[in-house]
Amino acid sequence: MYSGYLRRPTTPKRALRSVEDMEITTTDLGLAARVQHLSRSYGTGEGAVRALDDVSVGIRRGQFTAVMGPSGSGKSTLMHIMAGLDAPSSGRAWIGDTEVTGLGDLELTILRRRRVGFVFQAFNLVPTLDALGNIMLPFDLDGRRPSAMERARIDGLIQTLGLGPRLGHRPHQLSGGQQQRVAIARALATAPDLVFADEPTGNLDSRSGREVLALLAAASAEHGQSIAMVTHDPVAASHADRILFLADGRLVAEKPRQSAEAISRFMLDMEVAA
Amino acid sequence: MTAVLEHPGSAASTAPARPRRLAWLRERGMGATVLVAAISSAFGVVLIATTGYITSIVRADAQLGESGSIAFVLGIVTVVFVGLAVYIASIVTANTFATVIAGRTRQIALMRLIGASARSQRQRVAAQGLVVGVLGALAGLLAGIALAALGIWAVERMLQLGEIPHTLLDPAFGLPAIVVALTTWAAAWAGSRAVLRVTPLQALAGSVPATHGDAGARRGRGGAAIALLVVGAALLALGVLAGLVSPLGVLIAFAGGVLSFTGIALGAVMLMPPVLRLIGRLFGGSATARLAAQNALRHPARSSRMAIGVVMGVALVTMFAVALESMKQVLAAELGSEPPAELAAVIDTVSAVMMALVGVSAVIAAVGMVNLLTIGVVQRRRELGLLRALGLSNRQVRAMVMLEAVHIAIAALVAGLALGIAYGWAGAQSVFGSMSTDASGATGPTLVWPAVPLWPMAAVISATVVLTLIATVVPTRLATRVAPVEALAAD
Repeated sequence: MYSGYLRRPTTPKRALRSVEDMEITTTDLGLAARVQHLSRSYGTGEGAVRALDDVSVGIRRGQFTAVMGPSGSGKSTLMHIMAGLDAPSSGRAWIGDTEVTGLGDLELTILRRRRVGFVFQAFNLVPTLDALGNIMLPFDLDGRRPSAMERARIDGLIQTLGLGPRLGHRPHQLSGGQQQRVAIARALATAPDLVFADEPTGNLDSRSGREVLALLAAASAEHGQSIAMVTHDPVAASHADRILFLADGRLVAEKPRQSAEAISRFMLDMEVAA
Repeated sequence: MTAVLEHPGSAASTAPARPRRLAWLRERGMGATVLVAAISSAFGVVLIATTGYITSIVRADAQLGESGSIAFVLGIVTVVFVGLAVYIASIVTANTFATVIAGRTRQIALMRLIGASARSQRQRVAAQGLVVGVLGALAGLLAGIALAALGIWAVERMLQLGEIPHTLLDPAFGLPAIVVALTTWAAAWAGSRAVLRVTPLQALAGSVPATHGDAGARRGRGGAAIALLVVGAALLALGVLAGLVSPLGVLIAFAGGVLSFTGIALGAVMLMPPVLRLIGRLFGGSATARLAAQNALRHPARSSRMAIGVVMGVALVTMFAVALESMKQVLAAELGSEPPAELAAVIDTVSAVMMALVGVSAVIAAVGMVNLLTIGVVQRRRELGLLRALGLSNRQVRAMVMLEAVHIAIAALVAGLALGIAYGWAGAQSVFGSMSTDASGATGPTLVWPAVPLWPMAAVISATVVLTLIATVVPTRLATRVAPVEALAAD
């Protein structure tokens, strides 16, 4: 599983680097992150699986974007590469104006630490740290204390998320919804270029799920936070400003905000067409 | 996962019909348990062979005469040191099984869900302990005989003793092997207690693993430990006081030492966490250091038992070293000059032999430490993936695992040195307290200062450091191979 991660494929595009100066940048496009001609295969020979097949797409800055698709559509792979967690077989990816493809492990680690926020489906928190320790982890890993501005931001987040009375609790003392809120506070604390949420409501009851989605939507609408959320749940996707649909490793559709019903219908049609 | 599918709902069917049923032997922890059993068994065989051989030499030498008392003393030495090795091996094995079972909770819960009884599940674990114990004991028996043969051959060559009648197929060699197989079985049984607490529902429960420590589980044991400690310490004090009048005070002190040391071993789960916490503070406030310190305290019982083997090894080596060094000092004061070179050489030799004999137990404790650190890393793959995703660099991962081991090692070293110096002093004081150290020959109670010999202590500390560094090789390698995407992988 990890060998693919360690053996980063080299980009065969070094010769074109001089042309790059002329390229339009991610920021110029109003994007927080983008990928170009991205492909990712797992395994070799007959058993090879093509998880992503020449995908080019951008995540708009300040927007809440949902990436949808059935299992095996490549949506998770796309987001892993975009967030600097995995390397593509070919193609390029940027976070802001930094090209993540071709970065070494340490550079990628620091990029994730400073410029990407993560909210996973489950097991988001370090069990030995209390809620506050988990929220401050990106700063601690960076070996620095938050600035006064960041501190104010974190205090605001703690208040908004209602975590004040829970800061001294360890993860196992928190409910699933509370754990997810701690994860959101941690993801937003550094004001990263991109918050990456992978099925953030997958393990929650519907009420806690709605709360989490409303919080993510508010972070984007009120604070201009760019968020990319992978989900297969039409209700979750209906909170997003923009929805990208993937199937069989390709981008098949892109839609503005939709009702859950419309998303479900579209997904069903896609299934029937397949 | 194959193990789950193998015995659907059956009671413990021990006889392995197909080789596939032994697949669990490749599970992490089993190899180390075989190794621990093999070392203790080989140690026993080598010691029995050595003492037998020495007795033969003595018997062959007319000048040394009566061999009965020497054989008796050597027999006691063998029993004490092999007993110590087997005891530490049992702690290590019980701890290994308890840890392995913590990782198997899901699988056991699934078996319970299908209809297996908790008892049958536990019997299965114990049966695995017996298989591992027998394998290790046999391997140790063979290795021990080979080592003994090699050693005797080398001694015969070097000392040119000629033909000394000895046997390499003494039925007594089977004794340590049998004891080791049985204690491994018993340790697996003791370590598998947690199986009884697994409920079928845990197969279905959410994917957030329970992570709170397993402390406070055994109140009764805590009580026994405190009782032993109190009685032992009281006897130790009494022995030291009695020693002011007669050297026979050492017998009382010895009983006190054995009792209080057993109390410490039993009560490790209560005694070690405060030491661990204290050492953890020394590492400073960096994220890596705090994560490492918290990890060492995550399962206080597991860490304590991991440390206690090292504590015992260090304490015993230190005790002998301090007692013998204090004895040298008292003799020097008594004589008004340095003790004669021959006597000093004998004392140093005894000290070195004792250290080597206890060293075997320390190696067993180190194997246990490697093993538990490794299993700990394997069971934390997801958490390590999460930390990597959030921005913990590979170097920080390595530092974290390393610090966790160093943390436990330092705590064990500090505790072991303190205990060893205390016991060593108590021993020396109770023996020599009634002796006059005045060159004028006036008798009266004497206060013996604990003399801490430099070189043996340096050896103990550097051995612990080296063992710790070796102990971290495998776990750090495993930990740095965890990819960040593993945080997202469903289990």
